[in-house]
Amino acid sequence: MEKTELEVKGLRLTRGSNWTLNVPSFELRKGECLVLFGPNGAGKSTFLRVVALLEEADGGEIYYQGRLIKDNNRTELGRRAVYLLQKPIFFKGTVRENLLLGLKFRRFEPSEQLKRLETILGLFQLEPYLDRSPFELSGGEKQRVHLARAFIIQPDFLFLDEPFNGLDVDLKDVLLEDFSRIRKSIGTTTILVTHNRDEAAFLADRIMVMIDGEIVQAGPVEEVFSRPATPEVSRLIGHETLVEGITVGEEQGLLKILAHGQTILAYGSAQAGQRVILTFRPEEVILTREKPTTSVRNWFYGPVEEIKSFDRLTLVSVNCGFNLKAIISRASLEELNLQPGEQVWAGIKASALTVAAP
Amino acid sequence: MSLAEILQITWLSLTVSGLAVLLAFLTGLPSAIWLYLRDFRGKRFIISLINTGMGLPPVVIGLFIALLFWRNGPLGFLQLIYTPAAMVIAQFIIAFPVVAGLSFVAFEQVETELLLQARALGASRLQMIKILINESRLGQLAALIAAFGGVISEVGAVMMVGGNLKGYTRVLTTSIVQETRMGNFSAAIYLSLVLLALSFTVNWLLTSIQHRGETKWKRPNWK
Repeated sequence: MEKTELEVKGLRLTRGSNWTLNVPSFELRKGECLVLFGPNGAGKSTFLRVVALLEEADGGEIYYQGRLIKDNNRTELGRRAVYLLQKPIFFKGTVRENLLLGLKFRRFEPSEQLKRLETILGLFQLEPYLDRSPFELSGGEKQRVHLARAFIIQPDFLFLDEPFNGLDVDLKDVLLEDFSRIRKSIGTTTILVTHNRDEAAFLADRIMVMIDGEIVQAGPVEEVFSRPATPEVSRLIGHETLVEGITVGEEQGLLKILAHGQTILAYGSAQAGQRVILTFRPEEVILTREKPTTSVRNWFYGPVEEIKSFDRLTLVSVNCGFNLKAIISRASLEELNLQPGEQVWAGIKASALTVAAP
Repeated sequence: MSLAEILQITWLSLTVSGLAVLLAFLTGLPSAIWLYLRDFRGKRFIISLINTGMGLPPVVIGLFIALLFWRNGPLGFLQLIYTPAAMVIAQFIIAFPVVAGLSFVAFEQVETELLLQARALGASRLQMIKILINESRLGQLAALIAAFGGVISEVGAVMMVGGNLKGYTRVLTTSIVQETRMGNFSAAIYLSLVLLALSFTVNWLLTSIQHRGETKWKRPNWK
């Protein structure tokens, strides 16, 4: 996991007058799945295409397994990677022909092609579609063929641009799990672009957040999701709970704020009667079944709306007059044994709340 | 008119036009590929020229080739005027813009991201061009059909540069003109039928290649 497979130095690419992709340094480790996360137009796809050698940057160096990419080794080294466009685009011919295309480009022996085809058919359950035209398949089936034709190549690098976009939810969940399992079993070093945080949380070994062409934060999922480096990242991750309220006075040096019929205590200063916005991060929330007697000042009670499990973390949404989001570890979730619809206490320390003018 | 004579005329028609289209294909297709893959100033101008070329009257082309190959003309020393070679050259010039122009349109019909995906799956430049041709196969054959249909049926250019010399440069279209002029309508009709049959056979062959491997015609049900 520690070996650097892909390295980027001083990458710059300017588009028009006000948009620049600027990545001073970037490293991809062997076997990891890096999720490139960010809003639309942040430059994720462009960065991916540059790293996949499909587009040239204005400046900078790219190294594949220690070798600098130059004009004369672009095709050769480029064949160590496979990039999949967001939309599954197929070539004339059957599913079989489409699956084998990458191997044909690389001039694999027919016997090896067949061997790999069999393996990949099993993994992606594509046997029944082999002799059909990919254009006749359903959206989910198309996406399977799309992914399978990358994995069949067994590339050193896999670059995926929003591969699960536009699929309906049930289909997406199945495909996400299949993809994750297959990727881990083969150990393909992957960069995946998405603006969907659930996908990011589920797939990523490491997340890299890109905004306006720059990497603003990179790290393990837990770290980026629980400690967003900037307000932008925190907004992007979107787990912050925002509550609007009105200051009604002070109590023991704390601001007393009325929000959704409840009194909330927080540190801060504001005139009585002033409208304020309270924000707190989901990892600061404590969930319990019984109201405890601790120093925690603010307690909310309500039914669990939704439980979303990521790899090691769980996001719990609680309806306590407002939508409260909590991130807890998988272990705590098991201990609590929460189910959607059940009532739960959510506690938050006064010091964890931020008070701001709206 | 003897059967041998008719066969000779038909064979010359087929070889002159076939050769012209073959040459147009061998030069027009690479030109279209080059045009499609490269971006440069004046590209649009060249495309407009080619599109204009598609509609040039054969007599005008015949005139230019005749002037060029005339005994005192710039290429007169080649002594090509009134030879089958001059006819091939004239028909090639008629067919080239048709092949190049329609092939280019066929390439433009291919989804732009298709080549990107091919590249991203590891295709070399040559492999990308193969993909491009294969994906636009229908359009390429349509270009051939249009080009062949244009030259096999034209009379102006072959008449002017070939001269309709009996047993040497006389082809189906020129002999139809000749027979009609002489009032031999039955011979003219007979030759016309041969021309139509020839044209149909070649087009049927090309159409079969065009739709080879297509299991069914994809179209909505009109019932």
